[in-house]
Amino acid sequence: MTVLSAAEESAPDQAGPTRRRVLQGAAVVAAAAALPMAAAAPAQAATTGSSFLPASARLHLLRRATYGPSPSALADVTRLGLSGWVEWQLQPSLISDTAVSAMLAKLPVPNDGTAISTVKAKLDAGTISGWDQFMSIPKAHLIRATWSRRQLLTVMEELWSDLFNVAVPHDGTNESRAHYQYTIRSKALGRFDDLLWSITRHPAMLTYLNNRDSDRFAPNENQGRELLELHSVGVDAGYTEDDIKNAARILTGMSVNNDTGEFQYKPGMHWVGPVTVFGFSAGNDTEGGGEAVSKALVLYLARHPKTAHRVAYRIAQRFVSDDPPEPLVASLARTYTANRTAIAPVLRQLFASAEFAASRGLKVRRPVEHVAATLRALQVGPDTGDGGSINTLLWTAGAMGQQPFAWSTPDGFPERAENWLSTATTLERWSASRRLVEGWGTGDLGRADLRAWLFGSATATPATYGDMVDIASKKLFYRVLPSEHRTAVCTFLRARPLSPLSTDSSALTWRLRSWVSLLLDTPYHLYR
Amino acid sequence: MTTTTTTDGRAGCDECARSDRDGFTRRTFLRGAAAAGAAIVALPALETVSAQAAYAAGWTGDTIVVISFRGGFDGLSAVAPLGDPDYLKLRPNIGIRAAAATPLDAMFGLHPGLAALKPLYDSKSLAIVHATGMPSPNRSHFDAMVEMEEAALGTAIRTGWIGRTMGLSDPGGPFATVQIGGTDVPDALRGSPSVLSMYRLRDFSIDGVGNASDRARWSAALSALHSTAPAAVKSATDTTVGALATVASITATTYKPANGAVYPAGDLGDTLKDVARLIKAGVGLQAVTLDVGNWDMHAGLAPTNNPRSGWMWDQLSEVGAALAAFAKDLGPKLDTTTVLTMSEFGRRAYENESNGVDHGWGNACFVLGGGVNGGKVYGTWPGLTKAKLDYTDGDLEATTDYRAVLADILKNRVGASVGQLATVLPGYSGGPLVGLTKAKA
Repeated sequence: MTVLSAAEESAPDQAGPTRRRVLQGAAVVAAAAALPMAAAAPAQAATTGSSFLPASARLHLLRRATYGPSPSALADVTRLGLSGWVEWQLQPSLISDTAVSAMLAKLPVPNDGTAISTVKAKLDAGTISGWDQFMSIPKAHLIRATWSRRQLLTVMEELWSDLFNVAVPHDGTNESRAHYQYTIRSKALGRFDDLLWSITRHPAMLTYLNNRDSDRFAPNENQGRELLELHSVGVDAGYTEDDIKNAARILTGMSVNNDTGEFQYKPGMHWVGPVTVFGFSAGNDTEGGGEAVSKALVLYLARHPKTAHRVAYRIAQRFVSDDPPEPLVASLARTYTANRTAIAPVLRQLFASAEFAASRGLKVRRPVEHVAATLRALQVGPDTGDGGSINTLLWTAGAMGQQPFAWSTPDGFPERAENWLSTATTLERWSASRRLVEGWGTGDLGRADLRAWLFGSATATPATYGDMVDIASKKLFYRVLPSEHRTAVCTFLRARPLSPLSTDSSALTWRLRSWVSLLLDTPYHLYR
Repeated sequence: MTTTTTTDGRAGCDECARSDRDGFTRRTFLRGAAAAGAAIVALPALETVSAQAAYAAGWTGDTIVVISFRGGFDGLSAVAPLGDPDYLKLRPNIGIRAAAATPLDAMFGLHPGLAALKPLYDSKSLAIVHATGMPSPNRSHFDAMVEMEEAALGTAIRTGWIGRTMGLSDPGGPFATVQIGGTDVPDALRGSPSVLSMYRLRDFSIDGVGNASDRARWSAALSALHSTAPAAVKSATDTTVGALATVASITATTYKPANGAVYPAGDLGDTLKDVARLIKAGVGLQAVTLDVGNWDMHAGLAPTNNPRSGWMWDQLSEVGAALAAFAKDLGPKLDTTTVLTMSEFGRRAYENESNGVDHGWGNACFVLGGGVNGGKVYGTWPGLTKAKLDYTDGDLEATTDYRAVLADILKNRVGASVGQLATVLPGYSGGPLVGLTKAKA
């Protein structure tokens, strides 16, 4: 993650290499992001996705703060109002979520905080395999993304999981990775400093970034570097190689008990001596004091202004635009600092901001979101089988390039649109629609008869092809298509908008699922 | 799916290895997709012939194949400085000893896993550049990758060097720039007029759209429904629709590698085989990128004094076999193909306590092709003395700027003028690494 303001983004003469990916097409979107008020003007329509989206603020909120609008989610936001719905989502423990608990309970390692040592005992006894543990994690995520009512919590869990990525699977985290996910989820709407300390000392992270074996004789710099570069102040913050080395020295001793798999501080491994890291300093004069120094460093970094800006940027990038406006980011960063790194006030402010309201059509869905949004749009029900359908969801998201938490590097899945508009992802998105609408490999998901769901009854027959496409578009996209696109769908069915339908027309029977999946391949379903 | 428990002490920081990630997701995907793939009916080759003919204009250079070793390739294992008196002192447990190596010259020897490359070195198709890298070290995987692939240090330019190279001539067709083996487009390709990315040729189809007439109907509808979409979305759609037709034609017949070439099992062999197929099909391939991950060997690079097993052995054996098969399969087409390997950084000169090596600087790279003046290790060996390592913070110094390698290939194998070199490598004034490649006839 690089922290860069929208102003910097649009300044052509700004010097210095960064790692941002700016493709030609996306640069146009980025320019619109810096001028949110212009996004609504008709002249801008072709450079953002806004012309494909209904004007509703409720649907805009649902597209951003959930994994996609569904009839029941729309009912919730209509009942509670925009800010009321956000407040409701910010207290997930008060939201009943029974629909997903039965599905989660079928997973070999439920994502419920089961202790690492308990999972390890099961692994040692052969009751479960490491693979079982690993695959439980992305499956739980897909289940929650699609069917949990705690949508904003799940969105934030995914955001932090990218920021603090620990790849699934990864060697040495057989017993700890599910608990790591639980740790992120349980703190996803709490305070960032608490979250950062929790992930820094978690056995999964200590293993992934080699700190568990780092000792005073030859400190392994991996986690020390990423603590600064990825987890807090960011690569452009201005720290030095010496800061990295000292961060690594401070973290020595933060390790894992090899018998239980739980966190263990190992004083004998700790590097002792005075240290400074990017404005932080400590005497660090005892072997036994290393954990406390580590915690002090982490809390210092979490509360650093560079971290405040970076966290605010990351959140704004998820919810507003790939290149969020700097005034918004700066304002969110102030809120973060004023609230001692609490996350909820930042989200509350963001959803109420003018920049958010003006950002329609500026975000493209990532693959996990596409899978969940498709099922939510179609109101496909929870899994009733043994999990085979969830497996299909898993590899479908993976084929598009985002098997949950499988990104192998510590920087997590990218958030910018151009990363998800490659040819391969595009093709797999089209295939995913076929699979999810046709029910291939997903036969255990609860489905109403599609014709009845769309048109009112299993024999319902709209008068014309055009009417048929209009009714389906309203159901899926809460709008009708412009005539050019309605005609294109009719042409696909070798008909014209005014062609009459009969009750056994192929478009209402054996071809129904193919043209509905075609609808879901369009920009009307592409945007967050 | 393979086991994920550590049994041999291998540990990388896993910051990189993009293709690991892809491999994981892709292998999962392939199992599921096999059934759908089998249902695809072979297509008549006719429909894309006219499209192919239109691609060739503009580009007169070689097909440039860039293989990125993600995670930090250890050039000091791959091309060992056997004649350097400090080498084995710095790497007493994992250094390559002369007896195990395939000697190249008085100083260097190939890791035993790369023995398959020796015939290419002897036949002068393969050159090595050693102690090469960025002008100053950058030991962050992500930053180093971006810096290296942008190749525009100290400027505000944020396109990639291959992307700018593609901008030198007419855009070409949808296959001008291809990323294969994964969907994530590397930084080097930023700025290309279009990038086609795919896992494998054979997977490139819409599920359940099984014949030419269905595909035409879907393609027409998808194009029409994206007619008013923002440029990036419309472009992704157009490229995908065009590529579907071409790939269907290429894969209509079973591929048999030429000249008895046998590709090793695994991602690299599979993807290079697809590259060979695309080159031979004449689809207008100008540059192709592919990733080989899993080089981040912080621990467990090899068992003590046993380079013929372990992590590095496994990795290099696959690389050696795959490159050798690729060259053999291409036959005369190798004359118009240049393969370059790159990696974001080398490793520390000294081993750590876990038989591993941490992030470093200077590295070795391979340049393979009919237009290469091979059979030689290029570069200036800086030595590994204590004074030198004090200066570099413990790394092999990069005495040859990697842009010199790019400049030579661009000048001779792409035909870039001096002005065009300045466009592709802004801020670089060091000139080409003279002699590495031959000027194109």
